[in-house]
Amino acid sequence: MSRYVLRRLLESAVTLILATIVVFIGIRALPGDPARTLAGEESDPATLAAIRSSYGLDQPLPVQYLRYVQKAATGDLGRSPRTGLEVADSIGHALPVTLQLSAFALLIAVLIGIGAGVVAAVRRRKPAEWAANGVALLGLSVPNFWLGQMLILWLAIAYPVFPASGFVSFFDDPAQSVRHLLLPALVLGSGLAAIVMRQTRSAMLEALTADYVRTARAKGLGSAQVVLGHALRNSLIVVVTIVGLQLGALISGAVVTEQLFVLPGFGKLTIDAVFTRDYPMIQGVVLVTATAYILINLIVDLLYSVIDPRIRVGGTAL
Amino acid sequence: MPIKPVLSACGVALLTLSLGLTACSAIDSATPQQSTTEERPAKQGGILRVALSAEPDKLDPSVARTLVGRSVFNAICEKLYDVDEKLALVPQLAAALPEFSTDGLTITIKLRTGVKFADGTAMDAAAVKTSLDRHKTLTGSARTSELTSLARVEVVDPSTVALKMNTAFTPLIAVLADRAGMIMSPAALQASGDNFATNPVCVGPFKFASRIAQDRIEVVKDPNYYDAAKVHLDGVTYKIMADATTRFNNLRSGDVEVLDTVAATDVDALKAEANLKLITSDSLGYQGITINLGNVNGVGKAPAALGAPYAGPLATDKRVRQAFELSLDRAAINQIVFRGQYTPTCGPISAASPFSSEVAQACPKHDPAAAKALLTSAGLATPVKISMVIGNTADARRLGEAVQAQAKEGGFELELQPVEFAASLTQTDAGKYQMFQIGWSGRVDPDGNIANFVRTNGSQNICGYSNPAVDTLLDQARKSADVEARRDLYGRVITKLHEDVPLIYLYRVKNFTGVSSKTVGVRVYGDGLLRFGVAGFAAA
Repeated sequence: MSRYVLRRLLESAVTLILATIVVFIGIRALPGDPARTLAGEESDPATLAAIRSSYGLDQPLPVQYLRYVQKAATGDLGRSPRTGLEVADSIGHALPVTLQLSAFALLIAVLIGIGAGVVAAVRRRKPAEWAANGVALLGLSVPNFWLGQMLILWLAIAYPVFPASGFVSFFDDPAQSVRHLLLPALVLGSGLAAIVMRQTRSAMLEALTADYVRTARAKGLGSAQVVLGHALRNSLIVVVTIVGLQLGALISGAVVTEQLFVLPGFGKLTIDAVFTRDYPMIQGVVLVTATAYILINLIVDLLYSVIDPRIRVGGTAL
Repeated sequence: MPIKPVLSACGVALLTLSLGLTACSAIDSATPQQSTTEERPAKQGGILRVALSAEPDKLDPSVARTLVGRSVFNAICEKLYDVDEKLALVPQLAAALPEFSTDGLTITIKLRTGVKFADGTAMDAAAVKTSLDRHKTLTGSARTSELTSLARVEVVDPSTVALKMNTAFTPLIAVLADRAGMIMSPAALQASGDNFATNPVCVGPFKFASRIAQDRIEVVKDPNYYDAAKVHLDGVTYKIMADATTRFNNLRSGDVEVLDTVAATDVDALKAEANLKLITSDSLGYQGITINLGNVNGVGKAPAALGAPYAGPLATDKRVRQAFELSLDRAAINQIVFRGQYTPTCGPISAASPFSSEVAQACPKHDPAAAKALLTSAGLATPVKISMVIGNTADARRLGEAVQAQAKEGGFELELQPVEFAASLTQTDAGKYQMFQIGWSGRVDPDGNIANFVRTNGSQNICGYSNPAVDTLLDQARKSADVEARRDLYGRVITKLHEDVPLIYLYRVKNFTGVSSKTVGVRVYGDGLLRFGVAGFAAA
C-alpha cells in the first residue's frame, strides 16, 4: 500500500509540474505584452523597460519559471503586478464565493430537477409532465446571460425583491447570503436542473415498471411510499452519477453568472487576469485548480482501494 | 446631441491644401452640461456605493496608470493643484498658484499649513520633496517621464518648496494637478516600502480602508482631513463592474448610487428614469485613427520607410491620407454608432480648454468626391486597399464598420483587423499596422495630448511621424507661460497636423456619470474624475 501511495504521490507531483510548465508557456505564447498592458497610456519605452525589469519579465523564460516554482514551493504565489495585492489573498477571497455559488446552484438544481422529474414520471402523458418537460427544455435552451438579465430586470429593478449584485458569505449572514445568491444560483443551476429532471424522469419511468415496485404495490404500500421509498431511491444512483459528472461544468460555468451578478468569484478573477495579462494571478489560479484536481483524483483512487480491496492497481494486490 | 457645423475661416495653411480641403468648418461643441448634482442640503453619514467600469491598478501614485484609479485617488490622495469645473488650475495642497522665475527655471510653491496625512503626520515641504523625489526616481515609476524637466526639489522652509528645472516647462503645473502632484506620507512610505499600494496614506477627504481584487475598494472619512467639516459621507465603496449593462442595471436597482461611465447607448434610458440623474462633461481626450507613416523598429525609434505588408501610398503620400480623412463624415459616425451622444472633433484640444481656438477646432469637411479626386491626382486607381486594426468589442466593430462604409465612398477598400486590446497595443507599438483606431483619455494641458504622439521620437509616437516644424512649435509652447501665445502655437501645430495627417481625430467622448437622485454634491469635470469631497445623501 505504501509503495502504491508513494508512486501515486510521485505521479501527482509530475502532473503538477507539467501543468505549471504548460500554463507558464501557454500564457506567454498569448499575443500582448504584459508590460504594455500594465503601462496603460504611459507607455514610453523607458517605462516599459522599467516594468519588465521590476517583474523579471526581461529574464530568460527558464529563469522566470524557476523563480516562480521556487517561490510557489514555499507557498508564495507572488503579488499581482497590476493591483499589488497578494495572489494567495485574492484566491482566498474568490474561491469561497464560487464554491458557495456552485453549492447553492447544485442544491437548487437537485431540488427542482428531482421534483420535476418525479412528477413527470408519475404523471406521465398528463399536463404535469408536459409542463415539467417544457420547463426542462427552457432550462436547457435559454442561455444563462439572457435568463440572468431577465431576472435582474424583473426581480431586482421592476420589483426590487433581490439585489442585482453583490455577495454575502453564508457563514457571515445566512439570510442575506441566500438573498444575494438566489438569483445567480437559479441562473447557474437552471441548465443542470433540466438535465437532472430528464435523468430522474427516465430512471423513474424504468423503476416504476420494475418487478420490485410491482411487488411493493402488491404488498399494499401507499403510492407515495412506493414512489419515494422504492422507485426514487433506486433512480437516484443514476442521478447522483450525472450530478457528479456535471459538477465541474457547474463550477466552470459560474464565470458568466459571476460576471452578470458581479460576484467576486474564481471565474471572474481568472478571466480578468487573462485579459490584463496578470501572469502571477493566472499562474496562481491554475496552480490552485490543478492541485485541487490532482488531490481529489488521488484521494478517490486511494479510497477505491480502501473501500474495495479487490481493486488491484498495476497488477499488484494492495 | 446635435452637432452644428459652423462655417468659419480656415487656418492659412489649410487654405493651401488642394481640392476639397479648402472647405473647412469648426466644430461647435458648446452644449448644455451639468457637471455636478444640485447642491441641496446633505445629511451627515452614509456610505456611497459607486460602480467603476474597470479595476484600478496599484493605488500608489508613483506607479498608478489607470483612469479609474485616478477617480479613487481623488478621494484619498490630494494633489498640489487641481482643476475646477472650467478646467482652470487651482491650488489644492498648495496655498496658491506657483511663482515662476523670469527664466522659468525655478518654480516656487507655497503649501497649505496645518495639513495632516491620514496617519496624523504633518504634510509639509519635506513630505513634498520626499514624494516628488520618489515619483521621479522609483524604479517602475510612471511619473518619471512626466518629471523629466524637473532637476531637483529644494525645501525653502516648512511651507515652501522650490522646483529647480532642467529646462523651462510650463505644463509641469498641470502635471502636478495629476498623480505626480500627489503627496504621500513619508512615514507610511517608510513603513510599507514597495507595498505602499496595499495601504496608501495621503491627504484626502477619505482614507483607504480595504480592497478585494476584482470586487471592491472601500474608503472611509478621514478625521484628520483639513476640510473634514465639509465631508458628509462616512465612506465610499467602489465596486468593480466591467459590463456597461450590468452597471446600469445596478444603478436602476439601487445597488449603487453612482455609475462612472454610462454607455452612450444607455443615456436616453437613464434620462427616462425619474429617480436617476445624468452628469455630463466634455472629455479632454479623443478617439481617432493613428496612421503608420514610418514606425518600422518600434515606438520611440527613428522613423524609416515601411516594409511589406504595411508599406503603401497611405504612408508615403499625404494626399492619400487627406483623401481618407475627407471620406469620413464624423457627424454621421457619431449619430450612427453613438446615437449622437458624443462630440465630433478634428483636433486634440477640447473646445472647453482655455487653449482652444478657432484654428484648433478647424475641421476638413466631409467630401467623398474630393477624396476620389485627390486619389486620382496622386495617380492611384480606386479602390485603394488599406487596413485598420480595431478593438474586438462591439463598439469598436460598429465604429470600424461605419468608417469602412464611408471610406468606400471615398475610393478606399478598408480591411478591418479586430484584435484583442492588449495584443493590439503590442502589435502597433512594434509598427505592424497601417492604421489603428485608438484614443487618449486626455490631459488638462494640451502638451499632454499632443507632444508625445507627434513629436519626433515621442514616447507614444507610434505613427513614426517626424516634422521639425511641429517639434519647434511644441518646444516653444512648452517654454511659454503666456496662454495667448501657447494657444496660437498649438493652433499652428494642429494646422500642420491637418496637412500631414499622421492622426485623424474623430470624436470626443462625453463623461456620462449616472447618479441616484438621492445623492447631492457629486462633481465630475472635464477630466472625467469623480469628486465626492462634499457629496452626500440628500436631507429629507
